[in-house]
Amino acid sequence: MNDLVLSLSKATKLYAGVPAIDGVDFDLRRGEIHALVGENGAGKSTLTKVMAGVVTLTSGGMTVDGVDVTPKTPLEARNLGIAMVFQENSLVPTMTVAQNLFLGQEKFYNRLRGIYIAAQQFLQSLNFDVTPTATVGGLGAAKKQMVEIARAVLHKAKVIIFDEPTATLTPEEKKYFFDLVKDLKRRGVSIIFISHALEEALLLADRITVLRDGKHVVTDDAARFDRARIVQAMVGRDLSNTLYGARKATVRPSGKRVLTVQNLKMAPMVKNNSLSVFAGQITGVFGLVGAGRTETFKIVAGVMKRDFFHGGEVILDDKPVRYRVPAPAVQAGIAYVTEDRKVEGFFETASIARNIYLGLLAKFPRGRAWLSRRESTSTGKSWIERLKVRAIGDEAKVVELSGGNQQKVVIAKSLIQDPELIIFDEPTRGVDVGAIVEIHELINSLADKGKAVVVISSYLPEIMALSDRILVCRQGKVVEEFSALEATEEAIMYAAIH
Amino acid sequence: MIAAISEFANRFLGRGEAAITVPSFDGALKPNQALEQAEILLACEAPEDLATDGTSLFLADGVRLLRLSGGTATIVRSFERPISALASLPGGALAVALGGTEVRLYDNATAETPAATFSQGLRAVNALAPAPDGTLIATDGSSLRGVDDWARDLMELGKTGRVLRLDPKSGAVTQLASGLGYAFGTIASNGNVLVSESWRHRVVSIAPDGSRKDVLRHLPVYPSRLSPANGGGFWLTAFTARTQLVEFVLREPAYRRRMIAEIDPEFWVAPRLRSGHSFKEPLQGAHIKTMGVMKPWAPPRSYGLVIRLGADGLPRYSLHSRADGVNHGIVAAIEYGDDLVMIAKGPGRVIRLPLASLGGEGLA
Repeated sequence: MNDLVLSLSKATKLYAGVPAIDGVDFDLRRGEIHALVGENGAGKSTLTKVMAGVVTLTSGGMTVDGVDVTPKTPLEARNLGIAMVFQENSLVPTMTVAQNLFLGQEKFYNRLRGIYIAAQQFLQSLNFDVTPTATVGGLGAAKKQMVEIARAVLHKAKVIIFDEPTATLTPEEKKYFFDLVKDLKRRGVSIIFISHALEEALLLADRITVLRDGKHVVTDDAARFDRARIVQAMVGRDLSNTLYGARKATVRPSGKRVLTVQNLKMAPMVKNNSLSVFAGQITGVFGLVGAGRTETFKIVAGVMKRDFFHGGEVILDDKPVRYRVPAPAVQAGIAYVTEDRKVEGFFETASIARNIYLGLLAKFPRGRAWLSRRESTSTGKSWIERLKVRAIGDEAKVVELSGGNQQKVVIAKSLIQDPELIIFDEPTRGVDVGAIVEIHELINSLADKGKAVVVISSYLPEIMALSDRILVCRQGKVVEEFSALEATEEAIMYAAIH
Repeated sequence: MIAAISEFANRFLGRGEAAITVPSFDGALKPNQALEQAEILLACEAPEDLATDGTSLFLADGVRLLRLSGGTATIVRSFERPISALASLPGGALAVALGGTEVRLYDNATAETPAATFSQGLRAVNALAPAPDGTLIATDGSSLRGVDDWARDLMELGKTGRVLRLDPKSGAVTQLASGLGYAFGTIASNGNVLVSESWRHRVVSIAPDGSRKDVLRHLPVYPSRLSPANGGGFWLTAFTARTQLVEFVLREPAYRRRMIAEIDPEFWVAPRLRSGHSFKEPLQGAHIKTMGVMKPWAPPRSYGLVIRLGADGLPRYSLHSRADGVNHGIVAAIEYGDDLVMIAKGPGRVIRLPLASLGGEGLA
């Protein structure tokens, strides 16, 4: 029998013409643990989603046990023996463990007692300490993961894919998880796991594959890797060849401190986080998934709430503030440009001008008694011209715009509020190349005008091209600060991984 | 009524005034090891303050007034009590504060008798600075506790610091400001007076009419003396850093009362100028996760920091001696020739860094 259980050749997946993975070759041996590592946006999740039937390839091929396959749904992938355990697990919280295990496999006549007995026997065979009658919603992260794994094994999965399996586990739970994975390996199951924790990859995996910018960089035995080699492979791009150009030659001096975050806590994402943001500077914030960057600044902007007890302090212009909703934060001069513009950024069926005008209305403490169509049109028009939003007309709906122009509308909606502190969360995600340059020019001009600017980005070249100072987050707090003059991709990535 | 309920809720929830938080060392205050790389000019018993008239560098070391030249020190004169502050005045005159309770003005460093003496109502004079009008500005840290009893003043949440103007011609003492949380360090600036307020972690500007304006707030340290910097701006020293443990204790009056009554001051949960010399010292439990491993770590009770402020009062860069360093308890920094000369009171050292090596970026 062929030693390869799964392989992908020249796998390419395009989203709106942009490759998420580009010509990736990947193979998985029977009974091996294979770690997939890379920055945010490197293509790890897309690659595994292709295997799990969540997305289909644009070009390239996939084989399972030497047979060409094209799973179009997770069910088809499951029938091929491929199961995926997502970071946000896919269990039904209101059902019991046993019901979740047999979900989708129920017989015509179901006898609960029979299901519980079968689940009990099956869980015992795996040596999983989970009560089959327990409701899943009441289980801890580790036990939920056990149920997910058990379900995968029950479905006779020969390949199990884990997406950041240890992100929510305690150290003891992690150890138990590692034992589980090793046990699965002994049973001949092949494991793919995505992890930002390099130590885990080095400790657990037989082989490691590194992806960068959607391309395959290297696959080798874990024993031949060390931390330095993995980091080098993750970030080793030539900056001068990127859209953002070479590193900065000068940085803006810091102005007065506009924002101070002191010992901020929001379990489980933000852990005792402290940082400052200064006027007239771009503060770049880098971190991998789960680093707590977005959550920290959402708390600052009143989008999220910090811990009820001892949640820390947010000090804006030397005054402690606590925003429970975004409106008072907007009135205090904070603008948060969301990373998820489609959900949080605009009303997609409203016109561009109307969306921008709504941003202005948010600035007034008690709204307005009346809305002016004329004011809406004129302000919208002026901002459309200022930000070069390309649309058929001012009354075009936002949903009709390209990603880059939609992002400009979201930015205009915030800038019309004349904020002093502007937080851009992934400002160029899903934005075309031309718009990226324009958005970067805009961000730079804001800092030149003396505004305090925060740019949260998962893309290192963007962070290095824009920032005057770079804060690196890891596990819920800022762990390192670099001046843009001293920062290197390797140094930033070293600080960001754990 | 609402304020009382709010206060109670804050204490219960750890919010507002009851939030036990400390600002981070970032931006211009980003830690480096610059103070640890400084050359040791002199090791001495009790260094306290520095002053220069441009040609000579004077050092207050206990009761002795020393003149520093390179690495050698010569005794200029001795006093009957320890010197608590020192300042050189235009024309070669020298002002000294003795034991915090008396200020003497000499026409020169070796003059036998003082030209003027001020002693009425002084308790903890810890810094002196010349004013452009020929008067002398002094900070009296506390009206209740002496200069050596500053930790007690902090533990009692002292707010009795004052800024005084001493007029050598008339002998008059004018109070410029009072109710300060340990005034420690002053300098004249654009007709106003800048004052470090240690217990409130800020630098305030006091106008001639007595009105105050914050120049720097929410510092992560206890600021102390100020001195002028070449090219505009100032040097601000900080004798130690704030920790959450001390911030917590400062919100617990019953605990502090018992601690003051029963514990040797050396081992109070309070900031110190040096630490790590006895197993009896209190530690703040903390941990840090590196390389996937949780490691225990305790923030130190002492720290070394000098901040370069611009003419606008904003920090430009800073020089640090961190948890693993020795040059803690920096209480004075002064430019002399091409160097920045500083006192690390913790280890009892006078240290020097070439000004040309400083500049913010690239500090190791």
